Amino acid sequence: MAHIMNMKQMEQKLQKADRKQSHLYLFCNFMALMIISAYSALMFSPTVQNVFPEGGDSAKQMYMIFVMTLIGCVVFTIYALGLFFRHKSGQLGILMALGASRKRLAPGLFREVFVLSSVSALAGIVAGFPFVWVIWQGFRLVLIDSSDMVLSFDLKCLIVSFLFFLLVVGFACLTAWRYLRKTNIMEVIREEHINEPVKELGKWCGSVGMVLIFVGAALGYGTPSLCHDWLHMYPPSWLGIFYAPALVGLYMVMLHTVVHGWRNNRKNPYRNIISRSMMKFQGKQTVNNLIVITLLIAGACFGIFYLPASAVSALVRYANQAYDYFYHYRADQNVPDREAVEALGNKYQLTLKDWGECEYITLGMGERTIVEEEGSSHYDIEYVPMAGEEKVLSEDAYRMLTGQEADVEPGTYMNIIDMDETSLYVNNSAREFTNMVTRKQLDTEFAGYLYHDLLCDQIGCSVLSNEDYALISEGLTDDWKGRFVQFNIDGKDDYQFANAFYNLFVYSFDKSCELPNYYDRVQKIRDNEAGEVYWGDTEDMSAVSYEHKDSFQFRVFWAYQPQFRVLSQNDYLRSMAVLFMMFLFICIVCMLTALVVCYTRCQTIALNNRYIFDDLKKLGASPQFLHKEIRSQCKNVFQVPAIIGMTAIYMFFVMILYGNDNRLLLTEILAMFVCLGILGVLATIVYVVYRVSVRTIKRQLEI
Amino acid sequence: MLYVNDLHKSYEVGKNKYPVLKGVDFHVAQGEFVAVMGPSGSGKTTLLNCISCYIPFDKGSITVGGVKLAGQNEEMLAEIRNTKLGFVFQDFMLLDGLTIRENILIPRIIQGEVSSEAEKLADELASMFGISHILNKYPAEISGGEKQRAAVARSLINNPLIILADEPTGNLDSKASRTVIETFGNAKTKMNATIFMVTHDSFAASFCDRVILLKDGSIYRQLEKNGERGAFQDELLDVIKEMSMNDRENSLKL
Repeated sequence: MAHIMNMKQMEQKLQKADRKQSHLYLFCNFMALMIISAYSALMFSPTVQNVFPEGGDSAKQMYMIFVMTLIGCVVFTIYALGLFFRHKSGQLGILMALGASRKRLAPGLFREVFVLSSVSALAGIVAGFPFVWVIWQGFRLVLIDSSDMVLSFDLKCLIVSFLFFLLVVGFACLTAWRYLRKTNIMEVIREEHINEPVKELGKWCGSVGMVLIFVGAALGYGTPSLCHDWLHMYPPSWLGIFYAPALVGLYMVMLHTVVHGWRNNRKNPYRNIISRSMMKFQGKQTVNNLIVITLLIAGACFGIFYLPASAVSALVRYANQAYDYFYHYRADQNVPDREAVEALGNKYQLTLKDWGECEYITLGMGERTIVEEEGSSHYDIEYVPMAGEEKVLSEDAYRMLTGQEADVEPGTYMNIIDMDETSLYVNNSAREFTNMVTRKQLDTEFAGYLYHDLLCDQIGCSVLSNEDYALISEGLTDDWKGRFVQFNIDGKDDYQFANAFYNLFVYSFDKSCELPNYYDRVQKIRDNEAGEVYWGDTEDMSAVSYEHKDSFQFRVFWAYQPQFRVLSQNDYLRSMAVLFMMFLFICIVCMLTALVVCYTRCQTIALNNRYIFDDLKKLGASPQFLHKEIRSQCKNVFQVPAIIGMTAIYMFFVMILYGNDNRLLLTEILAMFVCLGILGVLATIVYVVYRVSVRTIKRQLEI
Repeated sequence: MLYVNDLHKSYEVGKNKYPVLKGVDFHVAQGEFVAVMGPSGSGKTTLLNCISCYIPFDKGSITVGGVKLAGQNEEMLAEIRNTKLGFVFQDFMLLDGLTIRENILIPRIIQGEVSSEAEKLADELASMFGISHILNKYPAEISGGEKQRAAVARSLINNPLIILADEPTGNLDSKASRTVIETFGNAKTKMNATIFMVTHDSFAASFCDRVILLKDGSIYRQLEKNGERGAFQDELLDVIKEMSMNDRENSLKL
């Protein structure tokens, strides 16, 4: 047998003997880095960035879950490092006791820690790319594919991974240095066996924690609105700090779980004493782990909730659309007329019915609106003449289009909103309309609402009396006029026809209409006349392009996007593919991380408490009793975070739905039910992994 | 060889300070086998840890082979631990990943390259303590008594000035305990080793030349063996009984 002759050889042999611990550390680091690398690779990829509206709720949701995942992964790597060093310290302590100085131990220890942390972190970063690629291609192959779904990467994503890499390696080296700095050698030797009990709090901490979770969620969600309403100020990002009570609450709930548990068995208070004590004496680790798992499960659920929340309302809206086909166009565009559309329908053996069309005009409209203070997040609400564009119909046109009477007095206007009254673009404060060609103004005042879903889009729509309409439209050129058209198909519609008509429709527009729906020509004129550049003409505005007429960006944001029921229904998933798949990916990643943390925690329980189970066996504990103790330990790791994470995020989700307009719409209630079903599926997955973990531990402990 | 003068050590827990050693004075001569006994909390292990340079002390002085421990830097203390002191622990403290031969050689490995002379010495020590047959085995493959004998061999590999043993028989059955104590005896007689041992076990202590009895952080009495081992053990037990009787009387007075 070859003998060890020097320190380096001895360290190498010891490292080889400790490979189980090293592998656990490598695995944890690798997983954490892979997940963060994959998440950031997808999040910063042009594929996702081009689709997620900047500053939109979906983007905020994506970033928020990313932060949660990042926190989870950071805590997880620190935990893994702690486990590694707890074991390593015994070895270090013995060598120190036998006369190895800090200088003697440092090179080997730093080398080992640096190699382990950097190799695992680098491997994780690199693996993140194939990981995301495989999952994404899987989505494309099995679920949905579209031109938007072609995956490309932006190297910017490596910044996050690189920072995380530095954190992992830096923290590992710092911990090594801390261990070497310890002067009490006995403490270093005993480190592995030192318990980490948490500071005990009263039994009140669980309930107070729950209250704090709700208070934090309500404060965090509500403060930005208060900032808007009371202070007339855009909420600064630091307002997110108001979510902090929720985290404190979560910590307290987990502390209660570890210290007291949730089942108060007064008849038999000793029933869970062993499993409770095991958990309590590794309290710090356990509480940290439970918080991480809860955050990740909550993140997974929050991500997946996006799908039903968006899809249910859209699909119900399409199903309830009043006409199969509805569209509008500017009068100066060469859009196919009725004959041409009917001829196209004939090609597909379709007959058109209920054809209706009418003229509308586009006017400048005054509004009490937000006026930003330059260089400040504060704003004032002031009346601005010619604040923006408005599509305007006459009473007759409205009646013809909707079949509803609109009794509008001269000198007034009525605003069209959707049946659910959820329209975002409502203007009930106008004092005048302006003809943007002649600059003639028509004094007006708000006279009430009319309800018609199809006429609600990004640019508002109003109705004037026939007299006022005739008066103000005098002298308007065709680029300020347009037509609404609607029709049904007699019998069953055909997607092929809808698609052919859509292509024909889009290509009949010239370049002057290649604009997003938030491009406001009235604002442009106002800004230009004030000697300013309209923001829509700068690079800040995301452009739409006819070349990508099937992309999410185009279909959601083109100013003249038609509403063809069969096309929307069939292409909905395809056009939303990137958003949906991103959130599905987020769910998978968060859930996977949570389950890995759970599984690792259970493994640690088995490793750290092996001697307790051996002692219990010697004391005559039956396999059933030992099985119950293992189950009880694992249950807390899986069950408590799953219940708290899922319940809290579900309630937060309901609060968001309710908070949107202080009520719950039918579609939102439907979405809530779908989300409940999804929670059921996720809970089943958690349960399956829990069972696998229990079985593995039993095997390891030979029970 | 070892001089301990007016040694004070206290532990701080939160805002409270608990004195553990309250001015301990004694010395151990070259080739002497000395045991420290006393009830739990009397300060035995703290005394040993201070002499071992594992924990700093508050006041007083410890001198090993003419070198004062107080004021030495970490590098120097490590060197003292490595070259002047040998250690035997209650729970053996062998490294699981190394063979018994490698474990015995650890203090030499820490010094630098292991010479063939060191390997020869390791083999001699193993032979002296009856563990030659397990030199290529790992700690998990041998008994507790064998582990402790390997630990004694390790403590002697650098030919230290003194061996410090903390409850070396604490984890062993009576047969293994006797073998380990005889191993110390061998080391003393064959290598003129100086041994300072903390123990609870009056049987183990009765093999020593002298026993220091500690009580509440101070030396209660020192007993020297002048005759048979059995008689010395009886004498020890009498003093221990007397010590606990005093305790009872004091608590009754209170």
